[in-house]
Amino acid sequence: MKTDQIDIVELQDELEKLHSASFGWALSCCRRDHAEAEEVLQTVYLKILEGKARYRGESSLKTWLFAVIRKTAIGEYRKRLVRSLVFLGSSERHDTGVSPADAPTTLLEKSELQKQFRVALAKLPARQREALHLVFYEDLSLSEAANVMGISIGSARQHYERGKKHLREWLSHTETENGIVWRRKETPSAV
Amino acid sequence: MELSGEEKKLQALFSELKAADEQTTPHFGATWNRAQIAPRRVRIFNPAFVAAALLLVFGVVAFAVWSRHSRTATSPQPVIATAPQNPGNTAGAEAPPTPETPMPQPKTAVVLSRNKTTGQRNVMLSAANRKLQKDAKSIASWTSPTSALLESPSDEIFSSLPELNQSATQLKSFLPSRSN
Repeated sequence: MKTDQIDIVELQDELEKLHSASFGWALSCCRRDHAEAEEVLQTVYLKILEGKARYRGESSLKTWLFAVIRKTAIGEYRKRLVRSLVFLGSSERHDTGVSPADAPTTLLEKSELQKQFRVALAKLPARQREALHLVFYEDLSLSEAANVMGISIGSARQHYERGKKHLREWLSHTETENGIVWRRKETPSAV
Repeated sequence: MELSGEEKKLQALFSELKAADEQTTPHFGATWNRAQIAPRRVRIFNPAFVAAALLLVFGVVAFAVWSRHSRTATSPQPVIATAPQNPGNTAGAEAPPTPETPMPQPKTAVVLSRNKTTGQRNVMLSAANRKLQKDAKSIASWTSPTSALLESPSDEIFSSLPELNQSATQLKSFLPSRSN
């Protein structure tokens, strides 16, 4: 281990506090694939333990950690892609034809709207999805989001606005389609 | 950041998503411990090392194959079959005997693709030999269309030699005839 033991103990505490948010971010980076997100997070911890990823205090720990998770997720995705091309047609294929939206986590979905929201989110371009996730889900500012994504704040804002526009369109469309049904469910006497 | 009505809805949806994700988040200790165990497992199989080794083996094999092919392709010395020295003088003469043994590989046949198999190369070689023999025969039997103009009545004198025991009168026949 390259990192000092004391540092690791301190870092471990901090990582534990951020673990839930880290997993949420890993899920977003892995197109909501639960197993892949878990593997990515494990790889990130491994990188930290081996000293391959070092926190130098240039930004907040959360921003740094999220940037590492994002990079690792991209790397893991590329590896999987190469593996799937190499073992094309063999039984080792990871892809079982289940879309991320249909993953086991969907069992915990509370509403139909939430289910549709996940599908809409999955359809967004990666950058837009990332920007929205970092701002709405992780409560980061746009400059922090830009740091995590490794782009300028201007680009981050552009992705954020475009993503928001897409989701707004989806939301208005969904409300128009299902509004009556939901209203009926909420207040049956009103209809 | 001030949120509008629709943004608040989005925020609510993201919050709901977050709450659902938190319920399925794996325990930190389990993930951390797995990461601590992982290094030994990872270092056993290094894909970069395996790829480099495979590349090296491929390179060596490719070089060996290339060097073998280049040697076989350049070893036969091209020999061009010799045509008769003066084809014009051999009017009516028989063509010189063509060599019975297989002709050496001509230069045109030498330029063979390295990727050709031995069988294909043999077929091409024999075809080239046949062509070469045919060419040699045609060159040997060739006569100039103006060769008849070169013939003269005194050709016999030049083509035969007087013998020492011949009489003077007989030797006169070798002298150019004078009309007056």
